[in-house]
Amino acid sequence: MADNNPFDRKPARTLGEALNERGISRRSFLKFASYTASIMALPPAAATAMAEGLAAARRQSVIWLSFQECTGCTESFTRAKAPSIEDLIFDFISLDYHHTLQNASGHLAELAREQAMEENKGEYLVIVDGSVPLKDDGIYSTIAGMTNLQMLEDTVRNAKAVISVGSCAAFGGIPGADPNPTGAVAIDRIITDKPVINLPGCPPIPEVMTGTVAYLLSFDGIPELDHLGRPKAFFGEAIHDRCYRRPFYEKGMFAKSFDDEGARQGWCLFEVGCKGPVTYNACATLKWNGGVSFPIQSGHGCLGCSEPGFWDLGGFYKPLSTGKDGVLKYAAGAAAAGVAIGAASAYAVRSRRKTIMGNATQPVATPDEKEAK
Amino acid sequence: MAGHGGSRVSGAPCASDRATGMAYSVLAEIGRLLEALATDGRSDAIDLRSLPLTDADREQLLELLGPGEVTAELDVAGRSTVRETAFAGVWWICHRGADDRVASEEIAVCPVPSIVVSHPADISAAARRIQQTLSESTPGQAEAS
Repeated sequence: MADNNPFDRKPARTLGEALNERGISRRSFLKFASYTASIMALPPAAATAMAEGLAAARRQSVIWLSFQECTGCTESFTRAKAPSIEDLIFDFISLDYHHTLQNASGHLAELAREQAMEENKGEYLVIVDGSVPLKDDGIYSTIAGMTNLQMLEDTVRNAKAVISVGSCAAFGGIPGADPNPTGAVAIDRIITDKPVINLPGCPPIPEVMTGTVAYLLSFDGIPELDHLGRPKAFFGEAIHDRCYRRPFYEKGMFAKSFDDEGARQGWCLFEVGCKGPVTYNACATLKWNGGVSFPIQSGHGCLGCSEPGFWDLGGFYKPLSTGKDGVLKYAAGAAAAGVAIGAASAYAVRSRRKTIMGNATQPVATPDEKEAK
Repeated sequence: MAGHGGSRVSGAPCASDRATGMAYSVLAEIGRLLEALATDGRSDAIDLRSLPLTDADREQLLELLGPGEVTAELDVAGRSTVRETAFAGVWWICHRGADDRVASEEIAVCPVPSIVVSHPADISAAARRIQQTLSESTPGQAEAS
């Protein structure tokens, strides 16, 4: 945007210059970068380059679109208890459009979106939470007289990149669960000519969202992604791989119900339905609520919310070993035999994961299409 | 108490309260980095949070490195502590975030950690600020204060 822009929404000043005027020193950038490099498993030396990149960057215009969603992703993104290092991300971005957070409403709200698109053509970032309904011409979710599909296509046309936050945007999520009455689909099913980064989770971990945005800003590039479009830095390992209860799994020590002795002793929750072995996310390391805990630490199995189709995986409390395709019979063996078979089951669940992912990346059938089949 | 990562679980000890020997592995790595710093002047760092250190490992590493001559407290978007260890050039850096919890922790092997050094951009801005302060103050005001 030019310097003489009367709205001064995206000043030409760098973040380093702009924040210096507010008394935020370069040490803050370095601290933020050290923290971000740490959570993204980047080498510590990358923090200096990241800090310099951030300081030299312009404030990033962000247009946040909310479609078929519950606002939990926004709640997660804005979750902060006190001014701190984690909040700096809000100084780095200019949130130019967000239904829930912006002051403007009605046509002024839409004007803000159009203005941000015009002023930052080719440079703005689009964050989407929620899936897009395609059935019946997309009439099941509209905003300002536009279907979600129309708004998405219109907004993304001149965007730099798209971030799909939450499992609804990344994989269809709950709106896309069987029988998928609105024909809900993931964003990357629609947007195929722009980089789309998937940050699934229900909701995603706040640090996963802020870390990814910080990476984009610092390095002006996309972090390395897995085959489902998720940053490997956060989704490179299964919950099970980093779970502190894993030694119990390896020893065959399982809780059989939520109130038995095994549960009280903190044993593995595999047999009460934990999806940790097939779920790739950073919950076991970054944790939630400022690093306080994560579901397994609180005594509940992982639901697998960052995986495609998690809502339809057969039940939150059914062990993976009773899966429909029977591939996990080895895992059932591990539970029965205890020691030694753990590795085999881990291999089996990984194999099954590939199967699950393979199915999940196939085009989503709308209810009508399913009926036709 | 069941279900907490750092607690002992009766009947089957939780791995997190035992020393695993990792502290010595990290110490050896620090030794290699310090050797490189001494010979080539090359700085480096180890991200402690990326390593599978138990609480006991961490305590053991702290003990092995020992306290040094310099400690710096920083008030930068939360609290940070920079401590030189008993080995010159080896620094233990701890950054804290919301609720004073540890956000990142690393061992820096360098003459002075970069977060302690004033950045040229901050120095330039400070120079401008001090000139502005002087230009806005009249001699009478200065005497009165």
